[in-house]
Amino acid sequence: MAALKVGSVTSAVQSLWLIPVLPLLAAGLLAFAKQRHRVFAGTLAIVALVASFIVACGAFAATLGAHGERAVFNFTWLQFGETPLRLGWVLDPLTAVMVVMVTLVGTLIFIFSVGYMAEDENFTRFFCFLSLFAAAMLGLVIANNLLLLFVCWELVGLASYLLIGFWYHKPSAAAAAKKAFIVTRIGDIGFFIGILWLYAETGTLLLYDNGNGCLEGSALAQLVARTTIGGMVVSTAIALLIFCGAMGKSGQVPLHVWLPDAMEGPTPVSALIHAATMVAAGVFLVARVYPLMDADPANVAGHSPALCVVTWIGAITAIFAALIAVAQNDIKRILAYSTVSQLGYMMLGLGTGGVAVGIFHLITHAFFKALLFLGAGSVIHGCHHEQDIRRMGGLRRFMPLTFATYAVGMMALAGFPLFFSGFWSKDEILHSAFAWAPSRWPFYLGAAGAVLTTFYMTRQMFYVFFGHNRADEPAGHVHVHESPAIMVVPLVILAAGAVLLSIVGTPAWPWFHAYLTGHAAAVQPVAVDVILIMLLSTALVALGLGLGWWLYGRRRIERADSPDPLEALQADTFTVLRQKFWIDEAYDKTVVRLNRALCRAADWLDVFVWGGLVALVSYLAVGIAWVNRLIDEYVVNLGFDKGCGSVRWTARLLSLWQNGQVQRYLRALGVALAIFVLIFIWGCRG
Amino acid sequence: MSYLDVLILACPETIVALAALVVLALDLAVFRRRPWATRMRFGALAVTIGCLAALSWLWGTIPVRPLLHSDDVLVLNSLTHLIKIVVLLLTILTAWISIESQFTDHVGEYFALLLFGTLGMMFLVSTENLLMIFVALELLSLCLYTMTAFNKQNVRSAEAALKYFLFGGMSAAFLLFGFSLVYGLTGEITLGRIGRALNPSTLQPFNPSTLPDPLLIVALIMVMAGFGFKVAAVPFHLWAPDAYQGAPTPTAAFIASGSKVASFFILAKLLVAGFAGAGGAAAWRGFTQGWMPLVAILAALSIAVGNVAAIAQSSVRRLLAYSAIAHAGYALVGVLAFGSPTPSASTLQPFNPSTHHGFTALIYYVVTYACTALGAFGVVAIVEGSGSTVQRFNDSTVGPPDDLRAFAGLGKRAPLLSFCMLIFILSLAGIPPLAGFFGKFYLFAAALSSGKDLALLWLVVFAIAMTAVSLYYYLQVLKQIYVAPPPRLDDSTTQRFNDSTTQQPFNPSTLQPITPSWPAQASVVILAAAVVILGLAPNLLVGRVLGMVDASRLFLR
Repeated sequence: MAALKVGSVTSAVQSLWLIPVLPLLAAGLLAFAKQRHRVFAGTLAIVALVASFIVACGAFAATLGAHGERAVFNFTWLQFGETPLRLGWVLDPLTAVMVVMVTLVGTLIFIFSVGYMAEDENFTRFFCFLSLFAAAMLGLVIANNLLLLFVCWELVGLASYLLIGFWYHKPSAAAAAKKAFIVTRIGDIGFFIGILWLYAETGTLLLYDNGNGCLEGSALAQLVARTTIGGMVVSTAIALLIFCGAMGKSGQVPLHVWLPDAMEGPTPVSALIHAATMVAAGVFLVARVYPLMDADPANVAGHSPALCVVTWIGAITAIFAALIAVAQNDIKRILAYSTVSQLGYMMLGLGTGGVAVGIFHLITHAFFKALLFLGAGSVIHGCHHEQDIRRMGGLRRFMPLTFATYAVGMMALAGFPLFFSGFWSKDEILHSAFAWAPSRWPFYLGAAGAVLTTFYMTRQMFYVFFGHNRADEPAGHVHVHESPAIMVVPLVILAAGAVLLSIVGTPAWPWFHAYLTGHAAAVQPVAVDVILIMLLSTALVALGLGLGWWLYGRRRIERADSPDPLEALQADTFTVLRQKFWIDEAYDKTVVRLNRALCRAADWLDVFVWGGLVALVSYLAVGIAWVNRLIDEYVVNLGFDKGCGSVRWTARLLSLWQNGQVQRYLRALGVALAIFVLIFIWGCRG
Repeated sequence: MSYLDVLILACPETIVALAALVVLALDLAVFRRRPWATRMRFGALAVTIGCLAALSWLWGTIPVRPLLHSDDVLVLNSLTHLIKIVVLLLTILTAWISIESQFTDHVGEYFALLLFGTLGMMFLVSTENLLMIFVALELLSLCLYTMTAFNKQNVRSAEAALKYFLFGGMSAAFLLFGFSLVYGLTGEITLGRIGRALNPSTLQPFNPSTLPDPLLIVALIMVMAGFGFKVAAVPFHLWAPDAYQGAPTPTAAFIASGSKVASFFILAKLLVAGFAGAGGAAAWRGFTQGWMPLVAILAALSIAVGNVAAIAQSSVRRLLAYSAIAHAGYALVGVLAFGSPTPSASTLQPFNPSTHHGFTALIYYVVTYACTALGAFGVVAIVEGSGSTVQRFNDSTVGPPDDLRAFAGLGKRAPLLSFCMLIFILSLAGIPPLAGFFGKFYLFAAALSSGKDLALLWLVVFAIAMTAVSLYYYLQVLKQIYVAPPPRLDDSTTQRFNDSTTQQPFNPSTLQPITPSWPAQASVVILAAAVVILGLAPNLLVGRVLGMVDASRLFLR
């Protein structure tokens, strides 16, 4: 029976390539579609992704009974000399969970986009890019080769760039696209160097290859045994370089600056790429190379230097972004900073608790954050592209369905106890951070972040859905409307997901945990400290909610331009937070300015030094040519030679040879033969 | 071995020969009075059926071990089967492209000659006997001469064919003389035995101290002259530009594709197996007597002349002809890589795996080049076929129909066709990820890894530099297609046209969208797809060929 199930994983891995290829084909076809083929574009993209979803479900089902069995499919792509370059894909619980999540959330967001983008004239292009993104993301998830993973990683970045700048006529969107591309590239340089180094050390980039992959025993032992600069183990150095890429993609401090700006893209893009899937790719990457991250000469699981860095960066990001989110007014920006903060939690979970903890939060977050973003999209759509929460208010009455689903998302994000998936996944992270031996501080940071999360979400809810409408319209003429069914239905499904997912990850029945680690799930008694942490986080949520209500819900907010209650209370703090700690400005003053100076220096070098050298050489050449010409005209005095000055003239000379007279050709043949014989009998004596 | 066995061994060849006769007979007996287009389509269909039948026989009978006929008249192994399959596929696609050009009324004869030419190639591929090589080569060449002369309405066609024929006759004389000298020296006519006879101590096959006989040098040069003519290597290339320009386009395509594959295959086998002991060395400033320095000089000359002369061409066909000369030079580099002894070669097994890489690189290069060249000529055929009547018959008035300017604005007139041409041209120029890039990559990598101390480095550096030069003229074609505005025939041209043909008013058909017949279009698209796929997944072919070279045990019999 076991053999049969293992067999089903190995057979499922054969068809895994279909998952990215189907959306890729859709993208390729849509690239050629005309602007007016709107129905065709939407249908094709959705059908392709649904088909991928079905294949993904098959793969998922195959892994269910396989107890963490891993199947790989590797093939030779190129062969030069004796070294083959092999690519491949891998099917394990991590892959299976990710492909199902990406295809499911992606499908819902595609459907939502049909409604949201209905007015846009570049509808076909939008779906082409979305499909390209889905293909790249799915390719990234199934890749069993770091090079293939990197290629998809960059393709994902490209799709993100194209979609952030989708409304490229808006200067802010164009700038945001550029910023996202460049900032993530900074991390990718580290990632790429890490890949090269890894290849140099192990000679393979296959992750799993029946014992010869770079994440498997022998290669890891080899990496751990060597040390490099500063006594650091090679595996740690490579892991940190790879983590650089993850930091860029997942918006970890200090490379988080691009993610809030990326909200210039259409809202479905924010939901799909900049909340649910792409930004989680960094977290996924860390989970994928977890054995490398975890490799440590001391051999204490979970305490390797690389994982400590991951933990600390994650904890700092979690609190830092949550603080900034408190003082923002743009509905999407609040969610963006919230995303950054949650990604920090995932890193914290990976660092302290391992793959299952981080990935569970990734999955639940994908659902409720996609839900929140689509809800925000619905709100923006309903308010005629108003994004400032101060100009909303009272939407609960006009958009009841959106309100209900948004409230579910908010509860899940805040970690409202028992019924919402966010509670369980966040609780697991806090618990593992609490149990983390090296330091208790990440736990404190995470706990404080949890209060802030509830606080800023409560603030947003009160601003958007409660009170009265503060738009610049005369009272009684509110034009807010509920969104069409094609937008609301995905919201409802996502909301259901955000609630139901909580079933699989409770401490009493940690099915998800068991599934990822390959154990059998069993109902187990809950330990005392777990219950303590649960009570604590419930208290934290209550504190956040209470604070939020006290500041924002107690009194009605009268006018759109009235100061924020928190600003009235703590003006200076609020300013610091609203200005996002002046990180952007600091970068502008340091990195960007340095870069400009370097550019100017390079330009100067180019113009004066290199250009001067080139000019010098050319003058020299012209001088020689001039002398040559004098000699030619007056000494050799052959007009023929003047014609040989350029390649084209040489070519014409060769054509002269080709004059069409067959006698001459044949004579040339004979002469050539004779010359060759002479050369070889007398010329080549070795 | 009885004749029945020979017949079974040569069954695909028999099928092709029968198909040629059937095409001829049916066209004469049944289709003579039918409209021209019907006959053309029928002919192409018959060629397709015949070739597919031979191909499926080949596919079904890929031998595990080499099959031999006495005196190596027929040598069959998986590699020869593969090459024959490629040749047959190229023939089918050539036949489809032929539908587009209306150059002759003798449809049956044309397709029969095409099949006989294919027959010649197939025998050429599967023999290791000097006499058989010569006969097969002549069968192929005679078909090609006749096919070149097939456009009787065009003076250029006859002129080109005559030149091609005279040149070919002289080269054949050289080749035969060379072969007879080899026979005189060794008393053998099969490649394997010649190799052993020229190289008495088989345990030390590459002893530089034994300098070859001067007579052998003459024989070598004679043989190289003959084959240099076949593959159009400088200085034996002079027929090529005229023949490519004058011949009907499908013929030119056939010369550039199928015949190149077969010729390079047999040339490599001949040199490496037959003249194994007389290799010499082609290192920079380290030439020693043998065929390697000769091939190196031919390669360098071909690369230089082909690429530089192509720059000045305004006719696309001549441009492709010079490009073909340059590519022949690159392929000769592959022959060198194949033949060079490698440092790690043990004395007992001179042909170690990296030599196999040389042969594999050569085969990959030639096959992908054949696909690309055939596709490019297919596009040329379609563009020419779509030109106005004045351009087809009266080239003195508007210029040759394949003038670069005829391609101006093609990107708008035929987007799909232009895109295919883009793929072909970029592949010829060697831009990744197309097949042309990997062809050059494998070739140069194999050349670098062969020989002692990077012996062929000078040639590879030179070839790469000239590849950069080649970008200029390749991009000229693309510039015409995508950037240049569609041609506006000025008043004088119109005037001249109206003077020359008073029957009908001027019809600026060059400005209309091109609507090629579907077989021609399909073959171009198939070739473009093949170029892309072979580029994206080179191992599809390379891995297979490597295995086949190993399995064929080419030189260890």
